[in-house]
Amino acid sequence: MEQVIFYLFAGVLLFAATMVISVRNPVYAALFLVLAFFNAAVLWVLVGAEFLGLALIVVYVGAVMVLFLFVLMMLDVNTAAMREGFTRYLPVGVVVAGLMLLQLIVVILSEQVDLIGGLIPEPSAEVDNVHAIGQVLYTAYVYPFEIAAVILLLAIVAAISLTMRRQRPNTQRQDVPKQLSVTKEQRLRLVQIDKKNRRHTSDT
Amino acid sequence: MSFETPDFSLALPEIWLLGAICVVLIVDLFVRGSRRSVTFFLTQAVLLVTAALAITTQWGVTETTFSGHYVVDPLAAMLKATLALLVVLALAYTRPYLEARGLLQGEVYLLALFATLGMLIIASGGSLLTLYLGLEMLSLSLYALVAYHRDSRQAAEAAMKYFVLGALASGILLYGMSMVYGGAASLELAVIAEAAASEEPPLLLLFGMSFMLVGVAFKLGAAPFHAWVPDVYQGAPTPVTLFISTAPKVAAVALFLRLLVDGLGPLHETLQPMLLILAAVSLLLGNLTAIMQTNLKRMLAYSGIAHAGFIVLALAAGTEAGHAAALFYVIAYGIMAAGAFGLIIVLSSAGTEAEQIADYRGLNERHPILAGVLLLLMISMTGIPGTIGFYAKYLVLKAAVEADLIAMAVLAVIAAVIGAFYYLRVLKVAYFDRPEVPPEGSQKPTGPNEGSVGEGEGATPSRPDGAAGTVLVPGASLPIRALLVVNGAAVLVLGIFPERLIALCQSVLGAG
Amino acid sequence: MLENYLPVLMFIIVGLVFGALPLIAGFVLGPRRPHPEKQAPYECGFEAFEDSRMKFDVRYYLVALLFILFDLEIAFLFPWAVVLEDIGLFGIAAMGLFVGLLVIGLLYEWQKGALEWE
Repeated sequence: MEQVIFYLFAGVLLFAATMVISVRNPVYAALFLVLAFFNAAVLWVLVGAEFLGLALIVVYVGAVMVLFLFVLMMLDVNTAAMREGFTRYLPVGVVVAGLMLLQLIVVILSEQVDLIGGLIPEPSAEVDNVHAIGQVLYTAYVYPFEIAAVILLLAIVAAISLTMRRQRPNTQRQDVPKQLSVTKEQRLRLVQIDKKNRRHTSDT
Repeated sequence: MSFETPDFSLALPEIWLLGAICVVLIVDLFVRGSRRSVTFFLTQAVLLVTAALAITTQWGVTETTFSGHYVVDPLAAMLKATLALLVVLALAYTRPYLEARGLLQGEVYLLALFATLGMLIIASGGSLLTLYLGLEMLSLSLYALVAYHRDSRQAAEAAMKYFVLGALASGILLYGMSMVYGGAASLELAVIAEAAASEEPPLLLLFGMSFMLVGVAFKLGAAPFHAWVPDVYQGAPTPVTLFISTAPKVAAVALFLRLLVDGLGPLHETLQPMLLILAAVSLLLGNLTAIMQTNLKRMLAYSGIAHAGFIVLALAAGTEAGHAAALFYVIAYGIMAAGAFGLIIVLSSAGTEAEQIADYRGLNERHPILAGVLLLLMISMTGIPGTIGFYAKYLVLKAAVEADLIAMAVLAVIAAVIGAFYYLRVLKVAYFDRPEVPPEGSQKPTGPNEGSVGEGEGATPSRPDGAAGTVLVPGASLPIRALLVVNGAAVLVLGIFPERLIALCQSVLGAG
Repeated sequence: MLENYLPVLMFIIVGLVFGALPLIAGFVLGPRRPHPEKQAPYECGFEAFEDSRMKFDVRYYLVALLFILFDLEIAFLFPWAVVLEDIGLFGIAAMGLFVGLLVIGLLYEWQKGALEWE
């Protein structure tokens, strides 16, 4: 049963990944990437890495894909121009991909590498994955953990310093304190109307 | 669960720097002032204290803490002090250039501080994870710094290339790390070294090692992983180029020493051929391509690739003397590169960018002191005795010969001789060429033997405003010019009295 | 352990069927009388003025990026909440520092005006 599920989701994953690089519309490609992420998350859950699977969905599907879509919309990409080099670089790409495949096969088939039941311990049956990660992440791995926080802080600084440079002159912005502290005199103008002539004397 | 509370006092330099970054960040938010004086001097003070802390708290201590993720040894102490001081030097040049271009903002110094923190983390990295995170912190800051001149197309292109290639290199490095983890079942370098020293080291370690080498070579800018170097050096704002060519190079050597010596040192025999290829390609490609450049920043970029070749050659020797030579070389290169790019900064004023070699015609007549600094820097980069560059090359060649890499040593000497050509050409332009007289239409007085120099696109400075023969007016203030002179003098003084620094490099690496 | 995910699998299957069935039903049962006028794009009765794909402002990107950063922070909070009893005071301090750094980031954003929409 587990194998059936694996091949089912792995198949969909491969299909989605192929579509990501082959569909014409980049927005569709991004959506196929979402599908690929989902399937990869399922595969992780299948091997017992529950936390990573969930994090993949929360972080990648939830946030990173939003960013991708924004970028795609922001760029106004000319898809035809992007595909121009595709056939020209295809042979090189195939050679590189082939080499990498070959390497992977060598590694997997080599006798020194016992991928099944090798050095990496089996996931424990008693402690679930999230517990296991939590117990080391905030204790033994506290140093890398805090570095990660610093990198997030750095990302905030870098993103803001690169995108928020000048205040544009003609943008409208809400100033809430100003809105709240407004007085009657600033908004209301009383105009005296001459009743006899029934005509507006709209002097200041 | 066996967990020991880590000894925080060992990591004092990093903790101090992180706390100080937060303070600088908040201070910069609330302090007004267009020259950013508070941020600037605070940053420099923080870095100086960091260097002092590294020496006082970590020198002579050899320990690990944070469950093996953090290593303290003399090498770490020396690297951290060097890195912090190089960043101080690099940042000292930044203000006038950035101010003239409207780029002077507190974030430049914040990003530099973050980069420094990343480099310190690399210097003390005890596990694959910390090394990777430190490298990412460094890289992320550098990407943002390169892109900092947002309105410049060149800078944007450079940042894009740097980012895409850098992300690819990080990915490859991470892939290699995952294989090494698979082979050694630990992230800790000490445990990995044990696994690598076993009779039959797992094949995964070898695979992982070659992938990790790609990542390190990229950061070092060694060919054939150098594609980003020329564009980034040329496209980035000059102070950023200066920054990138100093401390991060030292950090790349630190990364190599931690990852491939502390971690996978026992596998050096397998690594050596790969390193030799890197060294040979870098030396030849860097020096030969640099000859053809007309842009000084680009020429220095290719010369940087050639210097990276020397560093890789020293590392390929695989001995303690070789590692010490690499460390000495990269520090020497940092000082020389800081001077060279500092000179470009000093000679660039608000409107002009002193980056064409042709712009330096007649520099000696107008600014003899600056020309003198240029002379010192160029002969040092060439490796002429009496300068720090000579000792750097000498130590590398000595280490290579001692490790029976005689053919490579000969190749390196040949490459250095080729390199002398373009360094001396810059001097020739500065000392013997006359500056073009702008409007009178009189031809450039060329001597009979000067015709071939900079022929083609190099003959006239290709400036958008078309003003031929721009006269360079130093835009920098007096203190910065003084700094430049001191920097140039350091090349000479360290070249005459190099023993202390050499001894220091050797002692932290257990050689000599 | 994997049995816990059976409901999730069920949900996925039900979701797929629920999404696909109306489409198939509409395809099979609905009358189809195609006409070129029906296919023509229009907006409010007019011909389309421009391509519906237009450039977004870079500030959307900033918002999305900041969202990712804080989303990541949340991802780190999950396992922490699960094991809080085991890791004690040290764990609380570790997360305190983590969140504290991001609070500084938030302060920075706020002061820089990245949270305001012009």
